[in-house]
Amino acid sequence: MTDAAATVNGSEVDQSRRRFLTVATSATAAVGAVFTISPFVASWEPSERARAMGAPVTVDLSKLEVGQMVTYVWRRQPIYIFRRAEQAVQDLAAHDGRLKDPKSLDSEQPPYAKNERRSRRDDIAVLIAVCTHLGCLPKQHFQTGDPVLGTDWPGGFLCPCHGSRFDMAGRVFNGSPASTNLRVPPYSFPAENTLVIGQDEDTAQGAA
Amino acid sequence: MPKTVVVALVLALVMDLAPLGLGVAVAAEAEGAGAPLDWEHWHAGNEVANTASLQRGARNFANYCASCHSLKYLRYSRMASDLKIPTDLLKANLIPAGASPADYYTQTSIAPADAVNWFGKEPPDLSLIARSRGPDRLYRFLKTFYVDPSRPNRTNNLELNNPAMPAVLSALEGVKQAVFKNEESTVDGHTVVTKRFDHFVTLSPGSLSSEEFDGFVRDTVNFLDYAGEPAQVERRSIGVWVVLFLLTFTWMAWLLKKEYWKDVH
Amino acid sequence: MASVDAPTQGGFRGWLNKRLPVDSFIRSQLLDYYAPKNFNVWYFFGSLALLVLVMQLFTGIFLAMFYKVGDTTAFDSVEYIMREVDYGWLIRYLHSTGASAFFLVVYLHMYRAFLYGSYKTPRELLWLFGMFIYLALMAEAFMGYVLPWGNMSYWAAQVIINLFSTIPVVGPGLVEWIRGDYGVADATIDRFFALHVVAIPLVLLLLVALHLVALRQTGSNNPDGIEIKEHPGPDGKPIDGIPFHPYYTVKDVFGIGVFLTLFAIVAFFVPTFGNLFMEEANFEPANPLSTPEPIAPSWYFTPYYAILRAVPNQRLGALLLLLAVLAYFFVPWLDRSPVKSVRYRGWLFRGFLALFTVSFLALMWLGMRPATGGYVTAARVFACGYFAFFVLMPWYSRRDRVKPVPNRVSFHA
Repeated sequence: MTDAAATVNGSEVDQSRRRFLTVATSATAAVGAVFTISPFVASWEPSERARAMGAPVTVDLSKLEVGQMVTYVWRRQPIYIFRRAEQAVQDLAAHDGRLKDPKSLDSEQPPYAKNERRSRRDDIAVLIAVCTHLGCLPKQHFQTGDPVLGTDWPGGFLCPCHGSRFDMAGRVFNGSPASTNLRVPPYSFPAENTLVIGQDEDTAQGAA
Repeated sequence: MPKTVVVALVLALVMDLAPLGLGVAVAAEAEGAGAPLDWEHWHAGNEVANTASLQRGARNFANYCASCHSLKYLRYSRMASDLKIPTDLLKANLIPAGASPADYYTQTSIAPADAVNWFGKEPPDLSLIARSRGPDRLYRFLKTFYVDPSRPNRTNNLELNNPAMPAVLSALEGVKQAVFKNEESTVDGHTVVTKRFDHFVTLSPGSLSSEEFDGFVRDTVNFLDYAGEPAQVERRSIGVWVVLFLLTFTWMAWLLKKEYWKDVH
Repeated sequence: MASVDAPTQGGFRGWLNKRLPVDSFIRSQLLDYYAPKNFNVWYFFGSLALLVLVMQLFTGIFLAMFYKVGDTTAFDSVEYIMREVDYGWLIRYLHSTGASAFFLVVYLHMYRAFLYGSYKTPRELLWLFGMFIYLALMAEAFMGYVLPWGNMSYWAAQVIINLFSTIPVVGPGLVEWIRGDYGVADATIDRFFALHVVAIPLVLLLLVALHLVALRQTGSNNPDGIEIKEHPGPDGKPIDGIPFHPYYTVKDVFGIGVFLTLFAIVAFFVPTFGNLFMEEANFEPANPLSTPEPIAPSWYFTPYYAILRAVPNQRLGALLLLLAVLAYFFVPWLDRSPVKSVRYRGWLFRGFLALFTVSFLALMWLGMRPATGGYVTAARVFACGYFAFFVLMPWYSRRDRVKPVPNRVSFHA
């Protein structure tokens, strides 16, 4: 910064006034810069088109049989929806010891899925089909006692990339590279046989 | 037969026959006597911030325009949110059954090939019509349809000569006839006679009064203005704050400059 | 605060300065660089041009994130930006307003050179770099205008590219080569996108850097046309000069404030500016079967457009348009006056400068009107006025009765 003369025209240079004005103007400019940059930052948010394509997906469950699984896409992610047999649900409690996070304490799910079934209802399971290790699509292995997976295999998923295994509630087994259970999206049942993925009590606004 | 009945019958006959051929130089009633109707300077006078007007315009568009014209850049949900239309009303009244609110506004029921056959061209998408023509010209267009027996669809328009579009609002506005006066002028030394529009004559009334119809057109044009640039109200309101901020900043920068320039002689 | 000259500067600054001449650069370019103290309002436009360049680069980069180049996707993608990208409308309007602001600022910046003889020795190269910037800017604006692929975009491309067909021998082949197709098409918009977003901005940045280096070398001119370096004070610094920082940094900040206020008023309240900044016809998609009526380029090109249409011969008209732009390049050598600033020039020069100014503005207005009747006659008259300024300059600049130039600048605190 240049050293301004101590006196100008015989009167003192008011350094404190200069400093105040400089600071005030700079602060205002900084505030302006933040406001100016914010629409540019906002423009990177998912656009209205992305939000529309990410709108909740309605699924008709009336044709879904026991042991059958369908895959839907919601917000560009594959979602597994399957109907579990009563036996499979009851067996879930039996192998808690073989799981890394049986109570889903470290995993991601909405509050209504923080239970042993990882779902709102016993029969219908809704899981995000993205392996929590590095993102591959886990493969369906619902048959109990699979020759490859072992006679004590209760049914679930095997990830083909690095071998992570998940049970019929998407909970990860010990020995898997993945550390957390398969994530659960927000969902709700507006009717007995209608499932809406992406809409629950918290995301009540529905369409984009 | 009583005289009044005869007069009534004759009048009825004349009214029925009028669309067939009484075109150009009909001596008019007092309507518009004197100066010609200055339709070229009509203004839409629309306000895009008037949500009630936009809602009416949206309703008008859905009922009278949407079967032929799309608004392909406008989503129903965006329209509902900006115009404060609740989703259930939107679904019940403004969008076709089965459509999602997130869809774009295309519910035309005429196949393009049919439109070309019937009208001569496809009805254009109207998303940007208010930006490419301006609300004033749209207003004038919707208000200056008149009967013209010489044309295949028997209508013409002062704003857009020989339009492919028929007078779709005539049930509301009524049917009117245009009266032209001959005007002489001198061009390059020769006397030229041109037909100049003078005034309209109502042939049959519509279901709306002329004030109601005018309001109808203004609301519809207002809605099209909105559809052309949905962000415009937000643009202006943000603009006020931005300009105020910049004025403040400039004033501070001025003080700062004056302070430092005390050094300079 | 540690003195900037300390060789054993501590901390991060010391580390940095040993590896990059940061402090010495700041010192030499801002603190030790002395500019004349009598800059007036005409001297704001250089820094403003730099500001607009940065704004256009920034908003342009963001637009390029959402824009989809191609004859079937471009128009839709622009509406996508306007309606569906959060604040996309704002980014778009800043860029479109910025384009017109750029030319307004640049024209005023150039006009200052005519007022004060800023192109005269030793600043000829500075002026030439500026002229190349002007050419690059015109190319950049033309290509940018084609990208939305509205109807005016399409027909502007058609008309301007067709101008090149007037070049003898190579013309028609050249036109096809520029377009990449038999008519303005997908190939054209694709290549214009690459040129507009990458190539010409790089060229512009290089030219602006050279322009600033050339300015730094000679020092700035001033409204009195006096070379301040010829009158050093006892400290060796020009007696009529002041350090650029803090005096001109602070003054330019104020200038930026005024400019941004006016800019914001336009961008937020009248972005189309009555059909001047964004034409109605461009809100319709490109239609090869329907030419907009009337057809005209953006306001910053219309002076040259008027000259083109004033000539009844296509080839000659195109040649005159080219000469009208190239004329500027020769001004440092056409001007034979011993005096730089209009303040000390006589009435002959002032008259011709006024003639040029009026002609330029009249041609700008006429270029927006249809090319019929009285408009064409007027365009011919003003085209003569425009060229007279350049063609007769060697004569009138010498004949002009100049006033004595003082030693010191005139400055009022």
